[in-house]
Amino acid sequence: MNAMTDAPPMRLPGTVTQVRARPLLGTLVEITATGATSNQVQSAIDHAFSAVADVHALMSYHDAASEISRINRLGFAQTVPVHEHTWRVLSAAREIAETSGGLFDISVAPTLTRLGFLPRHRDFPRISGQGDWRHVTLLSGRRVQLTRRIRIDVSGIAKGYAVDIAIHALQACGMVAGCVNAGGDLRLFGDAAQTLHVRAPHAPTRILPLMALSEGAAATSAAYFSQRRHAGQMIAPLIHPHTRTPCTTQRSITVLAQTCMHADALTKVVHADAAQAAKILARYNARALMVEHDPVTNGCRVFDSGTAAPIKWRAHWGVETRHA
Amino acid sequence: MHNFDHWLRIPALVLPAVISAPAFATQYLNVEQAQKILFPNAEQFLAAPLTLSAEQIRAIETRSGVRVRNSTVNAWRAQQAGKPAGWFLLDEVYGKHELITYAVALTPDGTVHGIEILDYRETHGNAIRNPKWRAQFVGKKTGAPLQLDDDIKNISGATLSCKHVTEGVRRLLASYAVALK
Repeated sequence: MNAMTDAPPMRLPGTVTQVRARPLLGTLVEITATGATSNQVQSAIDHAFSAVADVHALMSYHDAASEISRINRLGFAQTVPVHEHTWRVLSAAREIAETSGGLFDISVAPTLTRLGFLPRHRDFPRISGQGDWRHVTLLSGRRVQLTRRIRIDVSGIAKGYAVDIAIHALQACGMVAGCVNAGGDLRLFGDAAQTLHVRAPHAPTRILPLMALSEGAAATSAAYFSQRRHAGQMIAPLIHPHTRTPCTTQRSITVLAQTCMHADALTKVVHADAAQAAKILARYNARALMVEHDPVTNGCRVFDSGTAAPIKWRAHWGVETRHA
Repeated sequence: MHNFDHWLRIPALVLPAVISAPAFATQYLNVEQAQKILFPNAEQFLAAPLTLSAEQIRAIETRSGVRVRNSTVNAWRAQQAGKPAGWFLLDEVYGKHELITYAVALTPDGTVHGIEILDYRETHGNAIRNPKWRAQFVGKKTGAPLQLDDDIKNISGATLSCKHVTEGVRRLLASYAVALK
C-alpha cells in the first residue's frame, strides 16, 4: 500500500529502462523493466500487465464474473473448477492459514462487507456466520468447495501473486532487470540494490528510507489510506480472523520474503499478532519491519523481526536497515 | 531456542522526523508515447478537442454519476490506413492527495481497449485543489518531465486507490456517448 523504491539505478550500458503504470487490482500498478531495445521492453511490460490483468479478472471480489465470485455464489452447493492461478493462490492461502493457526484467513470477507470495505453482491447466498478457512476444501482436479456457508476474499494475497507472475513475465521476455509495484506490494530483480521507502504511519505524506533491497519481494500494509470511519472510530480493512474485529492501530508493517505472495499474506499475520508472527515469519524465511510513530522524537520507531532471529537467517536477506 | 517475542521490545532504530521527502511525482509517458502504446499501428492522431455545453454536462453527470469539473474533452481521433481506428482521450483526476493524468483508448464503437497513466503527482492536503498549484503543471503535456523531487521518482502510485481513475473512465465513457458518438 505504501512502499516505494527510489529511481531505478539499473542503468546498464546498452540497455533501455522504461516505466509504465496502469490502474489494476484496485490500485496503480507500476512496472519498470530494463532490456536491450525499447520495443522489447515495451512488449515485456505489456506481457507483465496482461498477467496482472488475468489475476484481476480471476480473483477480484468486486467483479461478479470472477472465479472468486463464482465460488462465493455456488461453492456451497457444488464444486467449482478453477484456473491454475486461482488454485495456486487458494493453496498458498490454506497453507499460510495452517502455519499461522488461522492468523491469515480468507474467510473474513463478510466482516469486510459489513464494515463497508467490500461491496454487497445480492446474488451471493446468505452466510451462516460460522466457519473459517478450514471450510474451503481444495479437491483434486483443481476444484473448490465450501463446506460451510462462508464467503472468501483473496485480495490479501492475490495482489502479491499478481506481482510475482508479472515478474516472471518480465524475466521470460529476457529483461535484465525489473520491478513491479502494486500499491506497496513490490518485487524486483536485477543487479542493483534500491532503497525501499515507506510512509510514516502518523503522517503518510512523509516518506522514510527503510532499507536497501536488491532481490526479492516486499509488501507493506498500513491503515492510513484505506481506513474509514465506522461507528465513531477509524478502522482499517485489516481484520483479526479470530475476533473478526478491525485493526485500529496506526503502524505500518513491511514484510520481506522470497515471493510477493508470501510477503503480502504475512503482513496480515503480523498485523493480527506481531508477537506470534516472528515464529511464523521464520518458517518462510521472511522478515518483518514494523514502523510506529515515536512520540518522543516525532520520528518513527522501527522494529525488526530479524533481530530476534538466528544470525545465519538474518544474513540470508543481505539487507541492512539504513540509518539516517 | 530463540525468544521470538523480543523483537517488539526494543526498536532496531529510530528514524528522526527530519528525513522525509515532501511530495513526489512521476511522469510515465508523454502524450505521444501514450498514443503510440495505445494505438501502435495508427499513423496519425487528429486533435478533436470538444467543449461540452451545460446540457451535455448534465447528461454526462446523470449517466455516469460523476461530477464534470472540466467542460473540455481532450480528444484525438486515431487514424490507421486512412480510416478511424478509435479515440484517444486525455483526462486528469484529482483526489485529496493526488493528481493523476491518464489516457483512455476507445475502439471506434466506443469500448475501452486500454488505459495508461501518464503521470502521477502527490501532494499535501488541499494544495491539489488550489488552481495556482495546479497551474505549475500546465505545459507538462508537451513532454517536459516534472521535477518535484529528485530523490524519489519511483513511486508506489499505489498508496491511494485508483477509485478516481475508475470514476474518470466512467465519466469519459458517458462523454463519448453524449458528445462524441
